[in-house]
Amino acid sequence: MDSKSKKYEIIEFLGEGQFATVYKAKDSVTDKIVAVKKIKLGTAEDAKDGVNRTALREIKLLIELDHENIIALFDVFGHLSNISLVYDFMDTDLEVIIKDSSIVFTQSHIKAYTIMTLKGLEYLHMNWILHRDLKPNNLLVNKKGILKIADFGLAKRFGTPDRLHTHRVVTRFYRAPELLFGARAYGPAVDIWAVGCIVAELLLRVPFLPGESDLDQLTKIFTTLGSPNEETWPGVAKLSDYVVFKKFPAIPLREIFTAAPNELLDVIGGMLNVNPLARPTSSEALQMPYFSNRPPPSLGSQLPIPSCIRDSNPEDQDQDAKGQKRKFTDYSEGGNYDFN
Amino acid sequence: MAGNFWQSSHYQQWILDKQDLVRERQLDLQILSEEEYQKIGIFFSNFIQILGEQLKLKQQVIATATVYFKRFYARNSLKCIDPLLLSPTCVFLASKVEEFGVISNSRLITTCQTVLKNKLNYAYTQEFPYRTNHILECEFYLLENLDCCLIVFQPYRPLLQLVQDIGQHEDQLLALAWRVVNDSLRTDLSLLYPPYQIAIGCLQIACVIMQKDLKSWFAELNVDIDKIQEISRYIINLFELWKSYDEKKDIQGLLNKMPKSKLQPTR
Repeated sequence: MDSKSKKYEIIEFLGEGQFATVYKAKDSVTDKIVAVKKIKLGTAEDAKDGVNRTALREIKLLIELDHENIIALFDVFGHLSNISLVYDFMDTDLEVIIKDSSIVFTQSHIKAYTIMTLKGLEYLHMNWILHRDLKPNNLLVNKKGILKIADFGLAKRFGTPDRLHTHRVVTRFYRAPELLFGARAYGPAVDIWAVGCIVAELLLRVPFLPGESDLDQLTKIFTTLGSPNEETWPGVAKLSDYVVFKKFPAIPLREIFTAAPNELLDVIGGMLNVNPLARPTSSEALQMPYFSNRPPPSLGSQLPIPSCIRDSNPEDQDQDAKGQKRKFTDYSEGGNYDFN
Repeated sequence: MAGNFWQSSHYQQWILDKQDLVRERQLDLQILSEEEYQKIGIFFSNFIQILGEQLKLKQQVIATATVYFKRFYARNSLKCIDPLLLSPTCVFLASKVEEFGVISNSRLITTCQTVLKNKLNYAYTQEFPYRTNHILECEFYLLENLDCCLIVFQPYRPLLQLVQDIGQHEDQLLALAWRVVNDSLRTDLSLLYPPYQIAIGCLQIACVIMQKDLKSWFAELNVDIDKIQEISRYIINLFELWKSYDEKKDIQGLLNKMPKSKLQPTR
């Protein structure tokens, strides 16, 4: 696989995360622009662990998935623990768009982003996959205005009743109350909560519930949405890290989101129900009146492009390469295995 | 898709044709007879099973590891990588993919050493020759040869559903059919048929063994019954082979005859 690294010509450095460095690159065979994510080597101890677990999780899941609103994995190359993954190139992400003060969102923009997120999520949940780290930064957007869910490093298959999950998932601002209370048997509702927070952030242009600690996160949630009790959330007191909160009344969403139409408040209110069982599924959410009522969602080409990429690289357009799932044929007929 | 078998890489890329399988194995079959090839496969499936049990892995992980092993040699000659190295590598990769706890590489090597010494000394007189770096290099090569297709569907879940459909108190039937599914991992079935068909085939064999008449229930199934018969035949053939075969006596000869990589590890 090592020879493959030559197949991709690095164009520019895009960013660096905890586990990986991302480059924009050109596939020298097809001329397609792609994103190459190089997984960091980590410590010598990690290296003994072989192929990085986070990378493996992305590979195993993304290979099986094919949806317009899910990032596509085209290729994997590298050697030993030095592994690189090749994805769709995406120009920006929702966090950049939200923070760009030169962009003004219309109701149609917000509706379009929400629909694309929910469609991708519906597909994931249909396939028994929890994303577990939805946030604006992981919702990538290209110049055509297509949103794709990315970063499957925390994603996990669910649905086997005897398998517990860790509750230490999801970036805090987007973390559902059941996770903060230490639930280990949870489901798609944790992703729905995160989408609720993201939609709220589209309206407010700042994180909706920016907790400074896990406890502060719960306080922010309950002072805003009302504290739960056995009536509004049956079973809540049985969660392992449950703490009793003072009785806070819910602030009417209308007072927080003054410009939002009523149907949108229904969507947000549903997704941000503190009781996970009362939240709609992605399919149910997509059926809510908001999505079929006027105004219609913006078409991709009408969606805003952040100022930082607006003027650069006009020649990159039409690089959308949907459905070209990678195949390893060119090196499957390998010869002998070399031990050195 | 991970939740839909018909759109999974398992169904779309890894249900192979019998003819293709024979063709891919041609190189090995010039040296080994088909039966000898199968016996070697059985031996290493057992090695994977014992390793998995020693490491306290779930049967699901063991089954996935076995399928990885099968898929690798469906495309490569036995001399490409020593199966003695590929077996623990499959276990290592499968345990990571299925996310059932962490096996450290050193624990894996130690377990290989003990298993070889205590349980498989009739096959190998020498110590387990591989080390961490071999496993790591082999893991990558395996991942590549699997085309990164890591999610494997197994017959166990459909089997549970089928037995539930038969009735409430079929624990004995389930236990037996479950063991037949385990046995089916010693055949090429996982490369040739969808897991739900394998589950039905194994259930049929279990019924025959228990002399349980479920003809009318089987008749109701919406399934290609010819395929089920083919699957049953594979398993019956395996049982026939086991009857007349003494692995402890024969395996050393077979392993000596097996095509080998020119590059052997130096210790």
